[in-house]
Amino acid sequence: MGESQLDTERHIKYWRRCLKSLLPTDYTSTDSSRMTLGFFILSALDLLGAGVETLPDKERANIRDWILKCQHPNGGFCGSPNHRYPDGYYVDVGHGKQLMDPANLPATFFAILSLGFVGRLDQIRRRDCLRWLKTLQRDDGSFGEFITEEGIIEGGNDTRYCYLAAAVRWALTGDQVSEEEEKDDIDVEKMVDHLRRGQTYDGGISESSEHEAHAGYTYCAIAALSLLNRLPDPSTISSSTPGTASTAKLPGLADLSGMVRWLVSRQIKYTMEEDEEEDETSSAEPLSLAELSLNESEFVGFNGRCNKKADTCYSFWVTACLDMIGSGNLIEPGPIRRFLFEQTQHRIGGFGKSPGSPPDIYHSYLGLAALATMKEPGLKSFDPALCISIQQKEKLDKMRRDALVPTRTYWKHGYSFSIREDDPAYEKTMAASEEPPRFIVDALKIVR
Amino acid sequence: MGKYEGNPVWDDVVPIPQDDGEGALAQIAYTDEYAEAMGYLRAIMAAKEYSPRVLDLTEHIISMNAAHYTVWLYRASTLRALNTPIDKELSWMNEVALQNQKNYQIWHHRQILIDQLYPSISSDPAAIQALADSELAFMTQMFDEDSKNYHVWSYRQYLVRKLGLFNSPAELKSVENLLRKDIRNNSAWSHRFFLVFCNPEYSTPDSKATEYDARIPDAIVDRELAFAQAATFEAPQNQSPWNYIRGVLRKGGRKLSSVEQFAGEFVTLPEDDSAEDVKSSHALDFLAEAWSEEGKTEKADHALRLLADKYDRIRKNYWDWRRAPLKEKTSK
Ligand SMILES: [Zn+2]
Repeated sequence: MGESQLDTERHIKYWRRCLKSLLPTDYTSTDSSRMTLGFFILSALDLLGAGVETLPDKERANIRDWILKCQHPNGGFCGSPNHRYPDGYYVDVGHGKQLMDPANLPATFFAILSLGFVGRLDQIRRRDCLRWLKTLQRDDGSFGEFITEEGIIEGGNDTRYCYLAAAVRWALTGDQVSEEEEKDDIDVEKMVDHLRRGQTYDGGISESSEHEAHAGYTYCAIAALSLLNRLPDPSTISSSTPGTASTAKLPGLADLSGMVRWLVSRQIKYTMEEDEEEDETSSAEPLSLAELSLNESEFVGFNGRCNKKADTCYSFWVTACLDMIGSGNLIEPGPIRRFLFEQTQHRIGGFGKSPGSPPDIYHSYLGLAALATMKEPGLKSFDPALCISIQQKEKLDKMRRDALVPTRTYWKHGYSFSIREDDPAYEKTMAASEEPPRFIVDALKIVR
Repeated sequence: MGKYEGNPVWDDVVPIPQDDGEGALAQIAYTDEYAEAMGYLRAIMAAKEYSPRVLDLTEHIISMNAAHYTVWLYRASTLRALNTPIDKELSWMNEVALQNQKNYQIWHHRQILIDQLYPSISSDPAAIQALADSELAFMTQMFDEDSKNYHVWSYRQYLVRKLGLFNSPAELKSVENLLRKDIRNNSAWSHRFFLVFCNPEYSTPDSKATEYDARIPDAIVDRELAFAQAATFEAPQNQSPWNYIRGVLRKGGRKLSSVEQFAGEFVTLPEDDSAEDVKSSHALDFLAEAWSEEGKTEKADHALRLLADKYDRIRKNYWDWRRAPLKEKTSK
């Protein structure tokens, strides 16, 4: 569309449309990940400065209720209401409630992040969620997507679920796991070991080192390590002279210099002629090496694997990785921005997968995320590991601390209220509490 | 009347429709067909019914939403309960996979089926070979559509381990065929690396892909170097074989400088003022690292400077970053 800047208004319009109107029937194939799409919508609007605070209270509350309705009674969240049964179906079978359609790890991550926009973290059944999360870990350190009634962990052993598990753990427990909760914690060392084993001969990371390196899996591994504090503090590297990152200790990665080479190699010069050619010839030899050089009006895209085509989403997966390992300065934002703005940004707002493609929610969000990682003016400061604004990350941090403070119930004039233990009036209020009403005490006796 | 409502076969089922509520996010304009089928699937799953009509219903849902994460499992359980022949399911899946190139669940389902089938043929080499052949034929069909389909390659690596195909001539041959068609097919290069360096016959179990493996025979290292080197002459600017060569050298515990002469075929850097001749930026990168390994700091720096300023300017910052530690060395 030939504009070299972010058309904020048009993007806001695109995302408001995604929020307010029905998505086209084509999205039916993503019905099981509506929670993911929902998160992209809420977070994109936040990045653009038109977040949920612009909505009426009632609408925010409705969205919150919808997310909470997808919570599974045994912990975790379902991907969409099509995976969540009415409450009455989850019959207690002696060792907890019947599973029905199990909770799902990606949905849980995106639900928690979405609640950060419209709700509170104490609305999550935290203990159940953490215990459930632990059941998803395999002996090799990897995680599954969900666990069946028979106790079978389903889903690939790849880095995606490790990332999601690390992120859910971060959101619910933060950096410090209390002694009391340690027994319910996942095995972090095993996960790190598993991630380390995933590096391939060419320096990238794959679902295991036996497969082809892939920028999506690489992002998931690095972001997981980042959330587990297994990467060196990026600020100490980027502020020092270039070159020190290669000697920095990076406990989570086997071969850092190979990793950096692989990441920067994902940049490819985009030329228009590429479009007209067949897939096989798209990565063909440049006619002369001089074409590899760059001038003012050129475009740089990213591919996800060696010798593949440029795709909007990889602009994020790769720049985010470089940023997290403190090497964000190894790329030149100009030609990358130009590729996104002039080649994949769409005239109705949003971004498409590749030049000429219609916008979709996934690429539209990751296009914004790539720009935000490169500190695009007009977008909020960004946290590449959680893929949300820093402001939102801080909010989640605070929400977690708030949720961790226990609250107690007290009675006044026959009604129950709750009060946080860190409330200045806590002692006084509890001392003044009435006895619970007679019928409640009786009811509790029957239950027991 | 839909496909299910009013249909005598489904008469006994009360569908459980989705309850979306007011604040629904990412609401989709479902077709009536999808909404109805989904309601019936939910009812069937709640009742834990595993009957032949479940196969029709799950097939119907899969045709509209192949990424439904539990319908596949439910289908697998139904197949088990009904003792349905696995080969029948595999050939049905071939069709589905060809229609849903990007879907991941299909391949996971296929693994479940193979896991289920394998014990019954594990002591019959002819049956294993027959399965390997028919799977290879199907994957070749998939690769005709997209020779870099990630899910198919992952499944293939799984199958090589499961059926023990590391030494199968057909396996290596088929990878070579794919590379002959497209020498830039990095998926095929990766698969070759796996076949060669994870072969349990001579590799150390659990050896990392990025580390030296003392058990790899020299002859294998030589063979693989020769194979990848030939490919670089065919297309010097193709990064796949250059990466492969680095990987092979590392597995074999050899230095980059051990193949310096080969890389030098693509690069001439005259001592005087005459122009250099560079046929591959990857060769230049390779030499820069080899020279820096040998302490030839100035030559290495020269190569990196050429990359930054002339032959690979889109990665200028990276090449400059690589130069920084060399400068430290020369100033000492
Ligand atoms: Zn993409």
